[in-house]
Amino acid sequence: MTKMIIYKEWLKTRWLLLGIAVVLAGFSFYCFLNLSKVVEFRGGGILWGTLVAKDTVLLEILRYLPPVAGAVLALAQFLPEIQQKRLKLTLHLPYPQGRMILLIAAYGLVCLTTLFALQATVSALVLKKWIVAELVSRITVTTLVWYLAGWAAYLFTASICLEPAWGMRVVILLLMAGLLRIMYLSPVPEAYNGFLPWLIIYVLCSAVLLFHGTACFKEGLHA
Amino acid sequence: MKRLGQIFIIASAAVLLFWALPWLVNLITVKPYGTPFTLYSCTVHDFTMLDKSEGHGFRFLDTKGNVYGDEAQPMFYASILASRGELPDTIEGRPITLAEIERNAVIISSDPQDVNRPAAPVYLLMESVPERLELKDPEDAMVSRKNSIDIYCMDENRLLEDKTAQLNDALKEQGFAYPAKVFAGNPSDRKDHDEGYLVADSEDKIYKIKQVNGTMEVRHLQQADGLHTKWMLITEFENRATLGWLVSAENRLSILREDGSVVPTEVIFDPGSEDMLAVGDLFYYTIKTSTEEGEHFYALRSDDFSLVDTMDRPYPKEWSIPGISFTSGTDASVRPRL
Repeated sequence: MTKMIIYKEWLKTRWLLLGIAVVLAGFSFYCFLNLSKVVEFRGGGILWGTLVAKDTVLLEILRYLPPVAGAVLALAQFLPEIQQKRLKLTLHLPYPQGRMILLIAAYGLVCLTTLFALQATVSALVLKKWIVAELVSRITVTTLVWYLAGWAAYLFTASICLEPAWGMRVVILLLMAGLLRIMYLSPVPEAYNGFLPWLIIYVLCSAVLLFHGTACFKEGLHA
Repeated sequence: MKRLGQIFIIASAAVLLFWALPWLVNLITVKPYGTPFTLYSCTVHDFTMLDKSEGHGFRFLDTKGNVYGDEAQPMFYASILASRGELPDTIEGRPITLAEIERNAVIISSDPQDVNRPAAPVYLLMESVPERLELKDPEDAMVSRKNSIDIYCMDENRLLEDKTAQLNDALKEQGFAYPAKVFAGNPSDRKDHDEGYLVADSEDKIYKIKQVNGTMEVRHLQQADGLHTKWMLITEFENRATLGWLVSAENRLSILREDGSVVPTEVIFDPGSEDMLAVGDLFYYTIKTSTEEGEHFYALRSDDFSLVDTMDRPYPKEWSIPGISFTSGTDASVRPRL
Protein backbone atom coordinates (compact mmCIF):
# COMPACT_ATOMS: atom_id res chain seq x y z
CA MET A 1 0.00 0.00 0.00
CA THR A 2 2.84 2.36 0.88
CA LYS A 3 4.38 1.89 -2.55
CA MET A 4 1.00 2.45 -4.21
CA ILE A 5 0.47 5.72 -2.33
CA ILE A 6 3.94 6.94 -3.24
CA TYR A 7 3.35 5.93 -6.88
CA LYS A 8 0.04 7.83 -6.88
CA GLU A 9 1.79 10.94 -5.56
CA TRP A 10 4.53 10.51 -8.15
CA LEU A 11 1.97 10.35 -10.97
CA LYS A 12 0.31 13.50 -9.60
CA THR A 13 3.46 15.55 -9.19
CA ARG A 14 6.17 14.31 -11.58
CA TRP A 15 5.66 17.06 -14.19
CA LEU A 16 5.36 19.70 -11.52
CA LEU A 17 8.54 18.45 -9.84
CA LEU A 18 10.30 18.66 -13.19
CA GLY A 19 8.94 22.20 -13.56
CA ILE A 20 10.16 23.19 -10.09
CA ALA A 21 13.56 21.65 -10.84
CA VAL A 22 13.78 23.59 -14.11
CA VAL A 23 12.81 26.87 -12.40
CA LEU A 24 15.32 26.33 -9.54
CA ALA A 25 18.03 25.39 -12.04
CA GLY A 26 17.14 28.32 -14.31
CA PHE A 27 17.29 30.92 -11.55
CA SER A 28 20.52 29.39 -10.21
CA PHE A 29 22.05 29.40 -13.69
CA TYR A 30 21.06 33.06 -14.18
CA CYS A 31 22.51 33.97 -10.78
CA PHE A 32 25.82 32.22 -11.44
CA LEU A 33 26.03 33.59 -14.97
CA ASN A 34 25.76 37.09 -13.47
CA LEU A 35 28.41 36.32 -10.87
CA SER A 36 30.74 34.78 -13.46
CA LYS A 37 30.48 37.93 -15.57
CA VAL A 38 31.22 40.09 -12.52
CA VAL A 39 34.30 37.93 -11.83
CA GLU A 40 35.33 38.10 -15.51
CA PHE A 41 35.05 41.88 -15.68
CA ARG A 42 36.15 42.92 -12.18
CA GLY A 43 38.01 39.93 -10.73
CA GLY A 44 37.04 37.51 -7.97
CA GLY A 45 38.11 39.99 -5.29
CA ILE A 46 34.86 41.87 -5.77
CA LEU A 47 32.90 38.83 -4.52
CA TRP A 48 35.10 38.54 -1.42
CA GLY A 49 34.80 42.27 -0.70
CA THR A 50 31.03 42.28 -1.16
CA LEU A 51 30.53 39.22 1.03
CA VAL A 52 32.71 40.61 3.82
CA ALA A 53 31.56 44.21 3.81
CA LYS A 54 27.87 44.07 2.82
CA ASP A 55 24.73 42.35 4.03
CA THR A 56 24.52 39.97 1.12
CA VAL A 57 25.18 36.34 0.24
CA LEU A 58 25.09 37.02 -3.53
CA LEU A 59 22.18 34.58 -4.03
CA GLU A 60 19.32 36.85 -2.96
CA ILE A 61 17.53 36.25 -6.26
CA LEU A 62 16.90 32.66 -5.08
CA ARG A 63 15.54 33.51 -1.64
CA TYR A 64 11.78 33.34 -2.34
CA LEU A 65 11.90 30.30 -4.61
CA PRO A 66 11.75 27.64 -1.84
CA PRO A 67 8.46 28.86 -0.27
CA VAL A 68 6.91 29.26 -3.72
CA ALA A 69 8.03 25.72 -4.62
CA GLY A 70 6.70 24.39 -1.31
CA ALA A 71 3.31 26.04 -1.67
CA VAL A 72 2.90 24.97 -5.32
CA LEU A 73 3.82 21.36 -4.57
CA ALA A 74 1.39 21.24 -1.63
CA LEU A 75 -1.39 22.63 -3.82
CA ALA A 76 -0.61 20.06 -6.53
CA GLN A 77 -0.77 17.21 -4.02
CA PHE A 78 -3.67 18.21 -1.81
CA LEU A 79 -5.95 20.47 -3.87
CA PRO A 80 -7.13 17.71 -6.26
CA GLU A 81 -7.84 15.50 -3.24
CA ILE A 82 -10.21 18.12 -1.89
CA GLN A 83 -11.69 19.51 -5.10
CA GLN A 84 -12.38 16.16 -6.68
CA LYS A 85 -13.55 14.72 -3.36
CA ARG A 86 -10.80 12.09 -3.53
CA LEU A 87 -9.79 12.59 0.07
CA LYS A 88 -12.95 10.88 1.35
CA LEU A 89 -12.04 7.82 -0.70
CA THR A 90 -8.38 7.97 0.27
CA LEU A 91 -9.28 8.04 3.96
CA HIS A 92 -11.47 4.96 3.52
CA LEU A 93 -8.61 2.87 2.15
CA PRO A 94 -7.48 -0.01 4.42
CA TYR A 95 -4.57 2.02 5.71
CA PRO A 96 -4.28 4.09 8.93
CA GLN A 97 -5.50 7.62 8.14
CA GLY A 98 -2.77 9.39 10.07
CA ARG A 99 -0.05 7.37 8.42
CA MET A 100 -1.65 7.98 5.01
CA ILE A 101 -1.58 11.78 5.39
CA LEU A 102 1.90 11.63 6.89
CA LEU A 103 3.12 9.50 3.97
CA ILE A 104 1.70 11.92 1.40
CA ALA A 105 3.29 14.87 3.22
CA ALA A 106 6.58 12.99 3.71
CA TYR A 107 6.67 12.31 -0.04
CA GLY A 108 6.33 16.03 -0.71
CA LEU A 109 8.93 16.99 1.90
CA VAL A 110 11.42 14.42 0.60
CA CYS A 111 10.96 15.69 -2.98
CA LEU A 112 11.41 19.30 -1.84
CA THR A 113 14.43 18.44 0.29
CA THR A 114 16.05 16.60 -2.63
CA LEU A 115 15.55 19.58 -4.92
CA PHE A 116 16.76 22.06 -2.28
CA ALA A 117 19.78 19.91 -1.42
CA LEU A 118 20.70 19.66 -5.10
CA GLN A 119 20.45 23.42 -5.53
CA ALA A 120 22.47 24.11 -2.36
CA THR A 121 25.15 21.57 -3.32
CA VAL A 122 25.53 22.88 -6.87
CA SER A 123 25.62 26.46 -5.51
CA ALA A 124 28.35 25.56 -3.03
CA LEU A 125 30.40 23.77 -5.69
CA VAL A 126 30.17 26.70 -8.12
CA LEU A 127 30.94 29.30 -5.42
CA LYS A 128 33.94 27.29 -4.22
CA LYS A 129 35.65 28.17 -7.50
CA TRP A 130 35.65 31.85 -6.59
CA ILE A 131 35.68 32.11 -2.82
CA VAL A 132 37.22 30.45 0.21
CA ALA A 133 35.38 27.66 2.07
CA GLU A 134 34.56 29.91 5.07
CA LEU A 135 32.58 32.24 2.82
CA VAL A 136 30.84 29.35 1.03
CA SER A 137 29.79 27.96 4.38
CA ARG A 138 28.51 31.41 5.45
CA ILE A 139 26.35 31.54 2.32
CA THR A 140 25.07 27.97 2.77
CA VAL A 141 24.18 28.51 6.43
CA THR A 142 22.34 31.74 5.53
CA THR A 143 20.27 30.01 2.84
CA LEU A 144 19.09 27.28 5.24
CA VAL A 145 16.29 29.50 6.54
CA TRP A 146 15.04 30.01 2.95
CA TYR A 147 14.81 26.25 2.47
CA LEU A 148 13.09 25.92 5.83
CA ALA A 149 10.60 28.50 4.57
CA GLY A 150 9.97 26.06 1.69
CA TRP A 151 9.11 23.33 4.18
CA ALA A 152 6.90 25.70 6.17
CA ALA A 153 5.05 26.88 3.06
CA TYR A 154 4.51 23.24 2.04
CA LEU A 155 3.14 22.07 5.41
CA PHE A 156 0.94 25.13 6.01
CA THR A 157 -0.44 25.14 2.45
CA ALA A 158 -1.22 21.42 2.72
CA SER A 159 -2.98 22.09 6.04
CA ILE A 160 -5.03 24.89 4.47
CA CYS A 161 -6.11 22.49 1.72
CA LEU A 162 -7.10 19.77 4.20
CA GLU A 163 -8.90 22.14 6.56
CA PRO A 164 -12.66 21.99 5.79
CA ALA A 165 -13.68 25.21 7.61
CA TRP A 166 -13.00 28.48 5.79
CA GLY A 167 -12.50 30.38 9.03
CA MET A 168 -9.76 28.01 10.13
CA ARG A 169 -8.19 28.16 6.67
CA VAL A 170 -7.85 31.94 7.04
CA VAL A 171 -6.33 31.53 10.52
CA ILE A 172 -3.74 29.04 9.22
CA LEU A 173 -3.04 31.30 6.22
CA LEU A 174 -2.37 34.20 8.61
CA LEU A 175 -0.10 31.99 10.73
CA MET A 176 1.82 31.01 7.59
CA ALA A 177 2.15 34.64 6.51
CA GLY A 178 3.46 35.58 9.98
CA LEU A 179 5.93 32.68 10.06
CA LEU A 180 7.26 33.45 6.57
CA ARG A 181 7.58 37.13 7.49
CA ILE A 182 9.71 36.16 10.50
CA MET A 183 11.85 33.93 8.27
CA TYR A 184 12.58 36.88 5.97
CA LEU A 185 12.91 39.63 8.61
CA SER A 186 16.63 40.19 8.19
CA PRO A 187 18.97 40.21 5.18
CA VAL A 188 22.03 39.97 7.45
CA PRO A 189 24.05 36.81 6.69
CA GLU A 190 23.84 34.21 9.47
CA ALA A 191 21.27 36.30 11.36
CA TYR A 192 19.21 33.15 12.05
CA ASN A 193 22.08 30.96 13.31
CA GLY A 194 20.87 30.79 16.91
CA PHE A 195 17.16 30.74 16.13
CA LEU A 196 17.26 28.21 13.28
CA PRO A 197 17.10 25.01 15.40
CA TRP A 198 13.96 26.34 17.14
CA LEU A 199 12.42 27.29 13.81
CA ILE A 200 13.11 23.78 12.49
CA ILE A 201 11.38 22.25 15.52
CA TYR A 202 8.42 24.61 15.10
CA VAL A 203 8.04 23.84 11.40
CA LEU A 204 8.22 20.09 12.06
CA CYS A 205 5.60 20.48 14.80
CA SER A 206 3.35 22.30 12.34
CA ALA A 207 2.77 18.88 10.71
CA VAL A 208 0.21 18.43 13.47
CA LEU A 209 -2.02 20.80 11.47
CA LEU A 210 -2.34 18.11 8.79
CA PHE A 211 -3.90 15.75 11.33
CA HIS A 212 -6.11 18.54 12.67
CA GLY A 213 -7.44 19.20 9.17
CA THR A 214 -7.96 15.50 8.48
CA ALA A 215 -9.80 14.97 11.75
CA CYS A 216 -12.08 17.96 11.10
CA PHE A 217 -12.68 16.70 7.57
CA LYS A 218 -13.68 13.28 8.91
CA GLU A 219 -16.05 14.89 11.38
CA GLY A 220 -17.53 17.01 8.59
CA LEU A 221 -16.82 20.34 10.24
CA HIS A 222 -17.51 22.66 7.32
CA ALA A 223 -17.87 26.37 7.84
CA MET B 1 -4.23 14.89 17.31
CA LYS B 2 -7.07 17.32 16.78
CA ARG B 3 -6.54 18.71 20.28
CA LEU B 4 -2.80 19.05 19.59
CA GLY B 5 -3.62 20.91 16.38
CA GLN B 6 -5.85 23.33 18.30
CA ILE B 7 -3.13 23.93 20.90
CA PHE B 8 -0.60 24.55 18.11
CA ILE B 9 -2.87 27.06 16.40
CA ILE B 10 -3.74 28.93 19.61
CA ALA B 11 -0.11 29.08 20.78
CA SER B 12 1.12 30.24 17.35
CA ALA B 13 -1.62 32.87 17.08
CA ALA B 14 -0.79 34.16 20.58
CA VAL B 15 2.89 34.57 19.71
CA LEU B 16 2.06 36.32 16.43
CA LEU B 17 -0.38 38.66 18.17
CA PHE B 18 2.14 39.53 20.89
CA TRP B 19 4.59 40.33 18.12
CA ALA B 20 2.45 42.11 15.55
CA LEU B 21 0.02 44.13 17.72
CA PRO B 22 2.56 45.95 19.94
CA TRP B 23 4.69 46.62 16.85
CA LEU B 24 1.69 48.14 15.05
CA VAL B 25 0.55 50.24 18.03
CA ASN B 26 4.10 51.46 18.72
CA LEU B 27 4.53 52.30 15.04
CA ILE B 28 1.35 54.40 15.09
CA THR B 29 2.07 56.17 18.37
CA VAL B 30 5.81 56.73 18.02
CA LYS B 31 6.86 60.39 17.93
CA PRO B 32 10.09 61.78 16.51
CA TYR B 33 12.66 62.72 19.13
CA GLY B 34 16.04 64.26 18.53
CA THR B 35 18.77 65.58 20.74
CA PRO B 36 20.78 68.70 19.91
CA PHE B 37 24.23 68.40 18.41
CA THR B 38 26.60 68.76 21.36
CA LEU B 39 30.33 69.32 21.54
CA TYR B 40 32.75 70.43 24.20
CA SER B 41 33.98 73.91 23.36
CA CYS B 42 37.63 74.86 23.49
CA THR B 43 36.71 78.55 23.84
CA VAL B 44 33.75 78.36 26.28
CA HIS B 45 35.18 75.35 28.17
CA ASP B 46 31.76 73.84 28.60
CA PHE B 47 29.50 71.57 26.54
CA THR B 48 27.66 73.62 23.93
CA MET B 49 24.45 72.51 22.24
CA LEU B 50 23.01 73.64 18.94
CA ASP B 51 19.78 75.49 19.78
CA LYS B 52 17.02 74.16 17.54
CA SER B 53 14.23 76.39 18.82
CA GLU B 54 12.67 78.53 16.10
CA GLY B 55 13.29 82.21 15.52
CA HIS B 56 16.85 82.29 16.81
CA GLY B 57 18.94 81.41 13.78
CA PHE B 58 22.10 79.39 14.22
CA ARG B 59 23.25 79.57 17.83
CA PHE B 60 24.71 77.50 20.62
CA LEU B 61 23.78 77.28 24.29
CA ASP B 62 26.12 76.14 27.03
CA THR B 63 24.95 74.16 30.08
CA LYS B 64 24.25 77.43 31.95
CA GLY B 65 22.05 78.81 29.18
CA ASN B 66 24.55 81.35 27.78
CA VAL B 67 24.17 82.01 24.06
CA TYR B 68 27.01 81.83 21.52
CA GLY B 69 27.51 81.87 17.76
CA ASP B 70 29.94 79.85 15.63
CA GLU B 71 32.79 81.12 17.80
CA ALA B 72 31.76 78.59 20.44
CA GLN B 73 32.97 75.82 18.13
CA PRO B 74 35.93 77.28 16.24
CA MET B 75 37.35 73.82 15.52
CA PHE B 76 34.19 72.31 14.03
CA TYR B 77 33.25 75.44 12.04
CA ALA B 78 36.83 76.50 11.27
CA SER B 79 36.29 76.78 7.50
CA ILE B 80 33.24 79.02 7.96
CA LEU B 81 35.00 81.21 10.50
CA ALA B 82 38.11 81.38 8.29
CA SER B 83 36.02 82.41 5.27
CA ARG B 84 34.67 85.31 7.37
CA GLY B 85 38.11 86.14 8.71
CA GLU B 86 36.93 85.31 12.25
CA LEU B 87 39.13 82.29 12.99
CA PRO B 88 41.16 83.12 16.12
CA ASP B 89 44.96 83.08 15.80
CA THR B 90 45.47 81.39 19.14
CA ILE B 91 43.31 79.26 21.44
CA GLU B 92 44.37 78.35 24.98
CA GLY B 93 47.58 80.19 24.21
CA ARG B 94 48.41 77.94 21.28
CA PRO B 95 48.77 79.39 17.75
CA ILE B 96 46.50 77.58 15.28
CA THR B 97 46.14 77.34 11.51
CA LEU B 98 43.26 76.08 9.39
CA ALA B 99 45.47 73.29 7.96
CA GLU B 100 46.37 72.11 11.46
CA ILE B 101 42.72 72.15 12.53
CA GLU B 102 41.70 70.10 9.48
CA ARG B 103 44.52 67.59 10.04
CA ASN B 104 43.36 66.99 13.60
CA ALA B 105 39.61 66.73 12.98
CA VAL B 106 38.42 63.17 13.60
CA ILE B 107 35.10 61.39 13.90
CA ILE B 108 34.73 57.86 15.27
CA SER B 109 31.54 55.92 15.73
CA SER B 110 30.50 52.51 16.95
CA ASP B 111 27.12 50.82 16.67
CA PRO B 112 26.22 47.71 18.71
CA GLN B 113 24.49 46.26 15.64
CA ASP B 114 27.89 46.17 13.93
CA VAL B 115 29.59 44.74 17.01
CA ASN B 116 27.01 41.98 17.60
CA ARG B 117 27.00 40.76 14.02
CA PRO B 118 28.04 37.31 12.89
CA ALA B 119 31.14 38.00 10.82
CA ALA B 120 33.04 35.79 8.41
CA PRO B 121 36.61 35.13 9.57
CA VAL B 122 37.87 36.81 6.41
CA TYR B 123 39.73 40.13 6.50
CA LEU B 124 40.71 42.03 3.36
CA LEU B 125 44.36 42.98 3.36
CA MET B 126 45.64 46.22 1.83
CA GLU B 127 49.12 47.17 0.75
CA SER B 128 50.15 49.86 3.23
CA VAL B 129 52.88 51.33 1.02
CA PRO B 130 51.38 51.32 -2.48
CA GLU B 131 53.72 51.74 -5.43
CA ARG B 132 51.82 54.74 -6.81
CA LEU B 133 51.34 56.26 -3.32
CA GLU B 134 47.53 56.19 -3.48
CA LEU B 135 45.87 53.43 -1.50
CA LYS B 136 44.32 50.76 -3.71
CA ASP B 137 41.57 48.19 -3.24
CA PRO B 138 42.80 45.10 -1.37
CA GLU B 139 43.97 42.20 -3.53
CA ASP B 140 44.64 39.72 -0.74
CA ALA B 141 42.62 38.54 2.24
CA MET B 142 43.50 36.95 5.57
CA VAL B 143 41.44 33.98 6.67
CA SER B 144 41.57 33.33 10.40
CA ARG B 145 41.69 29.62 11.17
CA LYS B 146 42.16 27.48 14.27
CA ASN B 147 45.94 27.16 13.97
CA SER B 148 46.93 29.82 11.46
CA ILE B 149 46.04 32.98 9.63
CA ASP B 150 46.12 32.15 5.93
CA ILE B 151 46.51 34.69 3.15
CA TYR B 152 44.68 34.27 -0.16
CA CYS B 153 44.91 36.04 -3.48
CA MET B 154 41.25 36.95 -3.88
CA ASP B 155 41.13 37.20 -7.66
CA GLU B 156 42.50 33.68 -8.06
CA ASN B 157 41.05 32.23 -4.84
CA ARG B 158 44.52 30.82 -4.24
CA LEU B 159 46.44 30.35 -0.98
CA LEU B 160 49.58 32.48 -1.01
CA GLU B 161 51.85 29.95 0.66
CA ASP B 162 54.95 32.12 0.99
CA LYS B 163 53.12 35.10 2.42
CA THR B 164 51.11 32.85 4.75
CA ALA B 165 54.27 31.16 6.01
CA GLN B 166 55.97 34.52 6.47
CA LEU B 167 53.04 35.90 8.51
CA ASN B 168 52.61 32.82 10.69
CA ASP B 169 56.34 32.45 11.29
CA ALA B 170 56.47 36.08 12.43
CA LEU B 171 53.39 35.62 14.63
CA LYS B 172 54.75 32.45 16.24
CA GLU B 173 58.10 34.10 16.81
CA GLN B 174 56.36 36.82 18.78
CA GLY B 175 54.29 34.39 20.84
CA PHE B 176 50.92 34.66 19.08
CA ALA B 177 48.34 32.21 20.47
CA TYR B 178 45.91 30.92 17.86
CA PRO B 179 43.11 31.33 17.06
CA ALA B 180 42.82 35.09 16.75
CA LYS B 181 39.99 36.49 18.87
CA VAL B 182 39.36 40.03 17.60
CA PHE B 183 40.35 41.73 14.33
CA ALA B 184 40.10 45.49 13.84
CA GLY B 185 40.87 47.08 10.50
CA ASN B 186 39.48 49.35 7.84
CA PRO B 187 40.41 47.98 4.41
CA SER B 188 39.20 51.02 2.52
CA ASP B 189 41.04 53.38 0.19
CA ARG B 190 39.05 56.32 1.63
CA LYS B 191 41.48 57.05 4.43
CA ASP B 192 44.71 58.88 4.94
CA HIS B 193 46.98 55.88 5.33
CA ASP B 194 46.82 52.18 6.11
CA GLU B 195 47.92 50.64 9.38
CA GLY B 196 46.71 47.12 8.58
CA TYR B 197 44.98 45.29 11.42
CA LEU B 198 45.04 45.19 15.19
CA VAL B 199 44.57 41.56 16.19
CA ALA B 200 43.91 40.15 19.67
CA ASP B 201 45.04 36.56 20.09
CA SER B 202 43.35 33.94 22.26
CA GLU B 203 45.45 35.06 25.25
CA ASP B 204 44.41 38.72 24.83
CA LYS B 205 47.75 39.87 23.48
CA ILE B 206 47.49 42.60 20.85
CA TYR B 207 49.43 42.51 17.58
CA LYS B 208 49.62 44.85 14.62
CA ILE B 209 49.66 43.07 11.26
CA LYS B 210 50.45 45.09 8.18
CA GLN B 211 51.47 44.42 4.58
CA VAL B 212 54.43 46.59 3.53
CA ASN B 213 55.80 46.26 0.00
CA GLY B 214 54.25 42.83 -0.31
CA THR B 215 55.77 41.47 2.89
CA MET B 216 53.97 40.90 6.16
CA GLU B 217 55.02 42.93 9.19
CA VAL B 218 54.02 41.86 12.69
CA ARG B 219 54.44 43.89 15.85
CA HIS B 220 53.50 42.71 19.32
CA LEU B 221 52.08 45.68 21.27
CA GLN B 222 53.23 44.46 24.67
CA GLN B 223 51.86 47.36 26.68
CA ALA B 224 48.33 46.37 25.70
CA ASP B 225 48.74 42.82 27.07
CA GLY B 226 46.31 41.91 29.81
CA LEU B 227 43.65 44.45 28.83
CA HIS B 228 41.27 41.60 27.88
CA THR B 229 40.19 43.58 24.88
CA LYS B 230 36.67 42.90 23.69
CA TRP B 231 36.45 45.68 21.10
CA MET B 232 39.07 47.47 19.04
CA LEU B 233 39.11 50.14 16.41
CA ILE B 234 42.06 51.12 14.25
CA THR B 235 42.19 54.90 13.88
CA GLU B 236 44.44 55.73 10.88
CA PHE B 237 43.88 59.47 11.31
CA GLU B 238 45.83 62.03 9.35
CA ASN B 239 47.53 63.34 12.52
CA ARG B 240 48.79 59.82 13.39
CA ALA B 241 48.41 60.68 17.09
CA THR B 242 46.83 57.32 17.89
CA LEU B 243 46.92 53.81 16.51
CA GLY B 244 43.70 52.50 17.93
CA TRP B 245 40.95 52.58 20.54
CA LEU B 246 40.46 49.58 22.77
CA VAL B 247 37.69 48.62 25.18
CA SER B 248 38.56 46.16 27.94
CA ALA B 249 36.35 43.47 29.43
CA GLU B 250 35.49 46.01 32.16
CA ASN B 251 34.22 48.40 29.43
CA ARG B 252 37.01 50.93 29.97
CA LEU B 253 38.18 52.78 26.89
CA SER B 254 41.94 52.94 26.39
CA ILE B 255 43.86 54.74 23.70
CA LEU B 256 46.66 52.95 21.90
CA ARG B 257 49.32 55.36 20.72
CA GLU B 258 51.53 54.96 17.66
CA ASP B 259 54.49 54.05 19.89
CA GLY B 260 52.53 51.14 21.38
CA SER B 261 51.86 52.81 24.73
CA VAL B 262 48.38 52.53 26.20
CA VAL B 263 46.54 55.43 27.84
CA PRO B 264 43.55 54.35 29.95
CA THR B 265 40.72 56.89 30.01
CA GLU B 266 37.77 57.58 32.32
CA VAL B 267 35.34 56.66 29.53
CA ILE B 268 33.23 53.62 30.31
CA PHE B 269 31.13 52.19 27.51
CA ASP B 270 29.96 48.80 26.39
CA PRO B 271 30.29 48.54 22.59
CA GLY B 272 27.94 45.56 22.66
CA SER B 273 24.99 47.57 23.94
CA GLU B 274 25.81 51.28 23.55
CA ASP B 275 26.21 53.59 20.58
CA MET B 276 29.33 55.73 20.62
CA LEU B 277 30.17 58.86 18.68
CA ALA B 278 33.45 60.67 19.19
CA VAL B 279 34.32 64.01 17.61
CA GLY B 280 37.88 65.07 18.17
CA ASP B 281 39.81 68.21 17.38
CA LEU B 282 43.11 69.85 18.18
CA PHE B 283 42.14 70.41 21.81
CA TYR B 284 39.37 68.07 22.94
CA TYR B 285 37.50 64.88 22.18
CA THR B 286 33.76 64.90 22.83
CA ILE B 287 32.63 61.32 23.30
CA LYS B 288 28.91 60.56 23.40
CA THR B 289 27.71 57.14 24.54
CA SER B 290 24.00 56.34 24.17
CA THR B 291 21.77 53.73 25.73
CA GLU B 292 17.98 53.42 25.71
CA GLU B 293 17.90 55.59 28.84
CA GLY B 294 19.87 58.53 27.54
CA GLU B 295 23.18 60.03 26.45
CA HIS B 296 26.35 60.46 28.44
CA PHE B 297 29.02 62.90 27.31
CA TYR B 298 32.72 62.90 28.14
CA ALA B 299 35.17 65.64 27.25
CA LEU B 300 38.80 64.50 27.08
CA ARG B 301 41.90 66.50 26.33
CA SER B 302 43.29 65.50 22.93
CA ASP B 303 46.91 65.46 24.06
CA ASP B 304 46.79 63.20 27.14
CA PHE B 305 43.14 61.97 27.05
CA SER B 306 42.54 63.16 30.60
CA LEU B 307 38.93 63.78 31.60
CA VAL B 308 37.87 67.42 31.54
CA ASP B 309 34.10 67.31 31.95
CA THR B 310 31.06 65.04 31.75
CA MET B 311 27.37 65.61 31.08
CA ASP B 312 24.23 63.42 31.15
CA ARG B 313 21.16 63.86 28.99
CA PRO B 314 18.38 61.40 29.89
CA TYR B 315 15.77 60.58 27.24
CA PRO B 316 12.11 61.22 28.12
CA LYS B 317 10.31 58.10 29.26
CA GLU B 318 8.42 56.62 26.34
CA TRP B 319 5.27 54.60 26.73
CA SER B 320 5.20 51.46 24.68
CA ILE B 321 3.21 48.23 24.72
CA PRO B 322 5.33 45.30 25.82
CA GLY B 323 5.47 42.41 23.42
CA ILE B 324 7.67 39.96 21.59
CA SER B 325 10.25 41.28 19.18
CA PHE B 326 12.36 39.28 16.76
CA THR B 327 14.90 41.99 15.94
CA SER B 328 16.82 44.44 18.07
CA GLY B 329 18.66 47.71 17.76
CA THR B 330 21.64 46.24 19.57
CA ASP B 331 22.33 43.13 17.54
CA ALA B 332 21.81 41.80 14.04
CA SER B 333 20.40 38.40 14.91
CA VAL B 334 16.79 37.32 14.57
CA ARG B 335 15.38 35.57 17.63
CA PRO B 336 12.42 36.09 19.95
CA ARG B 337 12.98 38.45 22.85
CA LEU B 338 10.66 40.21 25.30
